[in-house]
Amino acid sequence: MTSRGKIVDAIVDLDEPTALGLADEMIKSGVDPVEILERCREGMSIVGERFESGDFFLSEMIMAAEIFNQIMEKIRPQLKRSFIESKGKIVIGTVEGDVHDIGKNIVIALLEAEGFDIVDLGVDVPPKRFVEAIRKHAPDIVGMSSLLTVAIESTKRTVDAIAEAGLRDKVRVIIGGGRVDEYTTEYVKPDASTDNAAQGVRLCKKLLGGVEV
Amino acid sequence: MSPSPEELYEERKERVDRASSLKEPDRVPVLGGFGFFSARHCGLTHHEFLFDYEKASKAVIKTSVDFGYDTAGGISRLGALPFTLAFLREYEGLAPVWVNGPVHDILGVRYARFPGRELSEDSPFQFIGEEYMKVEEYDELIEDPQRFLVEKLLPRSCRNLEDPGSVKAMVALFKWGNESRRSAEANKKLSAELRRLGFPDFSGGFSYAPLDFIGDYMRDVKNVLLDTFRVPDKVKDAAVAVGVLILEMNRVAAKSAPEGTRAFIPLHLNEYFSPKQYGEFYWPTLKRVVLDLIDLGLIPYIFYEGYHDAHLETILELPKGKTISKFEKTDLRKAKEVIGDHSCIVGGPPSSLFIGGTPAKVEEYVKGLLEDVKPGGGFILSPAVSIPGNARPENVRALLKAVEKHGAY
Repeated sequence: MTSRGKIVDAIVDLDEPTALGLADEMIKSGVDPVEILERCREGMSIVGERFESGDFFLSEMIMAAEIFNQIMEKIRPQLKRSFIESKGKIVIGTVEGDVHDIGKNIVIALLEAEGFDIVDLGVDVPPKRFVEAIRKHAPDIVGMSSLLTVAIESTKRTVDAIAEAGLRDKVRVIIGGGRVDEYTTEYVKPDASTDNAAQGVRLCKKLLGGVEV
Repeated sequence: MSPSPEELYEERKERVDRASSLKEPDRVPVLGGFGFFSARHCGLTHHEFLFDYEKASKAVIKTSVDFGYDTAGGISRLGALPFTLAFLREYEGLAPVWVNGPVHDILGVRYARFPGRELSEDSPFQFIGEEYMKVEEYDELIEDPQRFLVEKLLPRSCRNLEDPGSVKAMVALFKWGNESRRSAEANKKLSAELRRLGFPDFSGGFSYAPLDFIGDYMRDVKNVLLDTFRVPDKVKDAAVAVGVLILEMNRVAAKSAPEGTRAFIPLHLNEYFSPKQYGEFYWPTLKRVVLDLIDLGLIPYIFYEGYHDAHLETILELPKGKTISKFEKTDLRKAKEVIGDHSCIVGGPPSSLFIGGTPAKVEEYVKGLLEDVKPGGGFILSPAVSIPGNARPENVRALLKAVEKHGAY
């Protein structure tokens, strides 16, 4: 097998040393970083499928995201963004009053691997900063993540603030995280919601008129 | 004539005890997990609720009486397990397991954020996981866990204990001792008053899954999960080492706990693991803790946070009727099917239903759920986590009403 195929397997097997070693090798031997990125995407796509089918759990997702992020760090400086077709731009953050980012970071890794441009606002993001970021980056989608119960209210406040700023029809809103369920969705009224990272990626694609869910 | 508090106490205790031991009571019991809702209901800020014992106790009493569930609420607090484990053997009895507002001020607890301090006056407190132990330090922890806790973990996780042996650190511990007595007395008084008003205790003990201790207090959740791939053997050995301290804590606690006291064990990492990793890294040491508590005459009351669907079968490895299983997002109907004859199930509406729902929706939820999980007994209704501060009072009221209507046997 070529190192290109091997790196896909290493990611899917969560074999961190091998995956990182192969990435270094490919960079050194002059493989186009876009090609490396493509292989990582292939690996992460399989990882996402395994999560949805119940073979992988959060622990495996966290490890896969960690491997993916480390490879991205290596190739990012050489990636010429203009050569990569973006699937869309997403502004994402953990809402005010909540500092949990495990879920958000898994989703970001999966979304990046799918070819979305991500603007990560970090954690404990007040509604005002979401609004400013929408003005500045004009994203297709804004994603709000949360784990705490108190964040249900912040998520609603953020969506309301976006509406008050007259931006609600300019972006699609997706909410995700541990406390997101049917009642949260009814209360916050986003365009999409989920408590499952891999499903979140599919919903983002759907929101942008892509693949059917 | 409405029943006296004494009659209510007996009636509720019987109801809860029968359900706990897998029998059918007169109706499904409802646990009063009021949490921060007590503060909101009585017009206290979250800050007052966590810093002023007297105001908080009054709020808990008023809320418990106003809503009349089968058990009362309590004053919210965060864990201080590193202290309890660090002071074992030297300290007679058990050092306090909790951090409240004043204790947070005295110790400068870094893993906690409190309203009116790091947070606005009216936010609930937060537990902030951090990396207080480096991955290179596993060996040191495994070698002598108690020493590691005392010499490394406490100074790193509390601002005012940064320099052990300094005047500042000694004064902090001295003040902490005094405050802990004050807080214990306030809690004792509150419990006695609640019993007098007709509310039986549901749980009186506390324990922990060894790997959660490492994830919550030492390595942080994300790091400990990465460690299971990078240094798997060290993670297993560390869980065993910490487990030894937890078993010892349980033995000390059991000396002053009446037989049959329910010991609450909140789990955190369970939903992160695949069944394979759960069986390899998490369950063996947790199971040991649970079995040991049962041997000591206590009833482990385990809160399986998040989704526990993939691990339900492991509960069957525990002795029948000797544990209570609280679920958050797990499918309660599936739980009933798999463990319904084996362990009493506790569960119910998510926080979002209290916040965003209506009384009609609450009733619809309760009716649908009880139809499926009530038959045969062994089921207790409880908020999935606790009732959130911003719950609509009419929804909180609707819950008991719905259970009275649909929960009778």
